[in-house]
Amino acid sequence: MSLVKDDINLLSPAQEWEAGAAAYPGKRKVTVDLTAMSTLDPAVAAMYEAVGNDATPAALAAAGEEAGQPAPEPEVDVESESAEERRLRFERDAMQYVDQLYSAAMRMARNPADAEDLVQEAYTKAFSAFHQYKPGTNLKAWLYRILTNTYINLYRKRQREPLQSNTDTIEDWQLARAGSHTSTGLRSAEVEALDHLPDSDVKRALQAIPEEFRLAVYFADVEGFAYKEISDIMNTPIGTVMSRLHRGRKMLRDMLADYAAERGFKAAGESTPAPGSDTQENRI
Amino acid sequence: MSDCQGLGDCDDARMERIYEYLDGALTRDDVAEIKNHLDDCSECLEQYDLECVIRNMVKRSCTESAPENLKNSILDRIHGIRPVDA
Repeated sequence: MSLVKDDINLLSPAQEWEAGAAAYPGKRKVTVDLTAMSTLDPAVAAMYEAVGNDATPAALAAAGEEAGQPAPEPEVDVESESAEERRLRFERDAMQYVDQLYSAAMRMARNPADAEDLVQEAYTKAFSAFHQYKPGTNLKAWLYRILTNTYINLYRKRQREPLQSNTDTIEDWQLARAGSHTSTGLRSAEVEALDHLPDSDVKRALQAIPEEFRLAVYFADVEGFAYKEISDIMNTPIGTVMSRLHRGRKMLRDMLADYAAERGFKAAGESTPAPGSDTQENRI
Repeated sequence: MSDCQGLGDCDDARMERIYEYLDGALTRDDVAEIKNHLDDCSECLEQYDLECVIRNMVKRSCTESAPENLKNSILDRIHGIRPVDA
């Protein structure tokens, strides 16, 4: 079951996103549970998974609602609706995501004015193409896909910047950084320290990681999109999404640990044993 | 460095499992297995906790409100467009 249709063809695929994207060397078969897409609670995810193919439309709608997705609007006859009706439907269904798209645009563009332009442009395109949107499918993911494509095709070209990332370079950089952290690892006291970092540090860290990693992390962690949905939004295979998430999260974690250390949070917790770790002390 | 191999034979494999667990991308059996393991292993639990904290930080930091006028600008713009008929 795909919640995002593949027939959004008004925007060309952004092939530069594929450049340098390593194939995901996964060994396991991973089941992606779309009905649990927006929940972060694995227990809930498992519950939906258990429902499996016996899920009734009502159960799926309920699952969607519980996961923060409004229930799909039934009974829209796209064929016969008037232009005015379609505009009203767009305003009712799509305009509720302006804040969310703006937040995402802030992770793409470098400043609020550019983020506004980007969202406005994306909404204009979405409205012009709204007849292609299939009612009942995931509208938010559809809008995000348009936003992402707008950014890639139009906006980033205007910035006249070279593609930020070069996979080989990242790999070297990442290995170097990973080396400096695995010796000590991140201690539980550091969880405490990280939690004290101001929002501005988190944004700075996100901004510092290459954009395809940054956006994958954003789509998963902030919006709770499933791998399949991110793969549709970013127009990349699921394996690439997973490897971007893995590497992006690792970069983010390392960077935040550095910021915490810079702010002197680390020293305070270093000698304190992790709560609840006493039973594991002698375990090898 | 990872001593426990309950979720994979290296740090990368372990983190991948934890990510999939948090992303709701595993089968029910896998979820149960990881949940059991986290109950017993403070080393993996620590990694899991850290990941949860980072996620929450990202979520908290990145939730922004669009400027007041943005919604109106969008509405103004789409009022000037005649939608394409299906």
